[in-house]
Amino acid sequence: MKRYRVLADYLGMLLVLGLLIGFFGVTTSGFLTVSTFTTIANQIPDAIIIAVGMTFVLIIAGIDLSVGSILALGGAVLGVCLVKLGWPLPLAIAACVGTGFICGAINGLIVIKWSIPSFIVTLGMMEMARGGAYLVTDSQTQYIGGPIEVIAETSIAGLSLPFYIAIAVVVVAQVVLSGTLFGRHMLAIGANEEAARLSGLRTRYIKWAVFAISGGLSALAAVIQTARMTSADPNMGLGSELQAIAAVVIGGTSLMGGRGSVVSTFFGVLIISVLGYGLAQMGAQDPTKRLVTGAVIVIAVVIDYYRHRLGRENWE
Amino acid sequence: MRNIHRLLKWGALTAAVIAMFVGLPGCGGPSKPSAQPGDAAGAVHPEGEGSAALGTETAATDAGKKPVIALIMKSLANEFFKTMEDGARTHNAEHAGEYELIAQGIKDELDVNRQIQLVEQMTARPVDAIVIAPADSKALVGVCKKAMDAGVVVINIDNKFDDGVMADKGVKIPFVGPDNRKGAKLVADELAKQLKPGDPVAIIEGVPSAFNGIQRKLGFEDSMKAAGMNIIVSQSARWEMAEANKVVSAMVVSHPELKALLCANDSMALGAVAALKEAGKVGQILVVGYDGISAAKELVAQGAMVGTIEQHADKLAVFGIEYALEMLKSGIAPQDRETAVDLITKSSQ
Repeated sequence: MKRYRVLADYLGMLLVLGLLIGFFGVTTSGFLTVSTFTTIANQIPDAIIIAVGMTFVLIIAGIDLSVGSILALGGAVLGVCLVKLGWPLPLAIAACVGTGFICGAINGLIVIKWSIPSFIVTLGMMEMARGGAYLVTDSQTQYIGGPIEVIAETSIAGLSLPFYIAIAVVVVAQVVLSGTLFGRHMLAIGANEEAARLSGLRTRYIKWAVFAISGGLSALAAVIQTARMTSADPNMGLGSELQAIAAVVIGGTSLMGGRGSVVSTFFGVLIISVLGYGLAQMGAQDPTKRLVTGAVIVIAVVIDYYRHRLGRENWE
Repeated sequence: MRNIHRLLKWGALTAAVIAMFVGLPGCGGPSKPSAQPGDAAGAVHPEGEGSAALGTETAATDAGKKPVIALIMKSLANEFFKTMEDGARTHNAEHAGEYELIAQGIKDELDVNRQIQLVEQMTARPVDAIVIAPADSKALVGVCKKAMDAGVVVINIDNKFDDGVMADKGVKIPFVGPDNRKGAKLVADELAKQLKPGDPVAIIEGVPSAFNGIQRKLGFEDSMKAAGMNIIVSQSARWEMAEANKVVSAMVVSHPELKALLCANDSMALGAVAALKEAGKVGQILVVGYDGISAAKELVAQGAMVGTIEQHADKLAVFGIEYALEMLKSGIAPQDRETAVDLITKSSQ
């Protein structure tokens, strides 16, 4: 029976997505074209990867506000390593992802060591990593050009390599979540941490790992965003933590923890991206974009509430 | 035993992390300005958090009778303002005998409250002159008037105070800086040379409420209208690279006939060029920017951008400081002073 419920979840998201695409298709000329969808697909990999990390964090009833800043710091490290130090690309990417992983690991370490709410710990990291990004780049946008373009320019069947990387991340993360002990334990911690701990789960280790993964994924997103822009801007990723949280919650992952799906998060990102792209194509002005995006987030979450309530009545 | 083992494990991790952070600034190499003389004297405190930072400087002031000039900036995180501040520091180091500099910045460009506090603190300190790049062209006028009433010379740089509000408060604050409208027209005129009359073009605007953003948009419009171009769409990308990338990606699909993009700053121009690369339209759609940041200059050199505008960010604060010194010495009547805007193209570099 549970399988049907999961399917119903996906169907709900697909319905919203279909409605959006239908709406823009009717109102905006040139929206229903192949190039619209390849453009969206090439633009969302970084958002997807950040949102996957955020899904894990929300599932254990935490929150990670530092993802946008870690993205900027990762990008800054990547840019400086390539441009100023002349490192080869693989080494620079390793430094970038390593930096993100370490930032996430610090978040996790502080959260578990002193049992401090992740909200405030990651708020601190948000400031620190942003400061680090300015420091590393000397507040200057680093133009990278050639060495990094290969990542964004490699394409298979019209879709860029980053898109496939993002899909791979989604698949692996979903398998980890629903098919491994680690995933089960994450859900258990989110549902009731004390009970999980008393049942002998290594809650501290799992929480630490989740924050470290989130940091590492943010830096992976930095590689992709930097490749697309061919430059590393220390201001990049401003506000992307809130976008990630919105996408995850639209996907039905509970802010209270204990419930969530990576595939649904993927749809959440798609909904926000299609909305943003469609509004831009309509020529909507900034205030309108913000009003509509905000409203859609709230409406999606309200719909999610009813869907789950119906779900419980029907199947439990 | 287990606990000790665990402690060691986390300890090692923490150490690695600290090493990473300490090591990172080293990545910047010798080009980092952290070894500048200003630092040692403790005279320059970007993001100085009030009393702690100010306390260290009082002693220094008592030592001599040099005039003290406070430079109050917008976000020091922004490359443009960072360059401005670095220019001021260098100038101060070269003219250390003539004046003392206190540089203060706010966290982001919209933190108006904090900037008002900074002006109040500097007035109370007191300083002889305040050179300010206001985060808001209206909200800061009142507090600057108070500073002037207290006998402090106030010079406005970068973002011009609103004439209406100044008239209302009966105050005249001299503005030293570039004419953004003129600069925007300059780069747009260069673009127009490569277009045919009637060509469809688009403007990528900055934050809609920012005065310099509005001026640049007006300058773009002046030029495009004069050359007979057709501005078919104008959207804001909030000064941001990633946002501009999204906006332009959508724009080239909905308006495939576009011939040029006029971006109100270089960060947005970088995002626009990236979007054009993705769509395979570099060269088909021409791009101009504004600010002259190094990454944009490289794109201009490569031919991916037609041009950008150099506002001599490193000199802007210095011009303000020099004018303040002049006013302190001679007591001349305050007047606006325009600084140069220069076009950067492939051939000019």
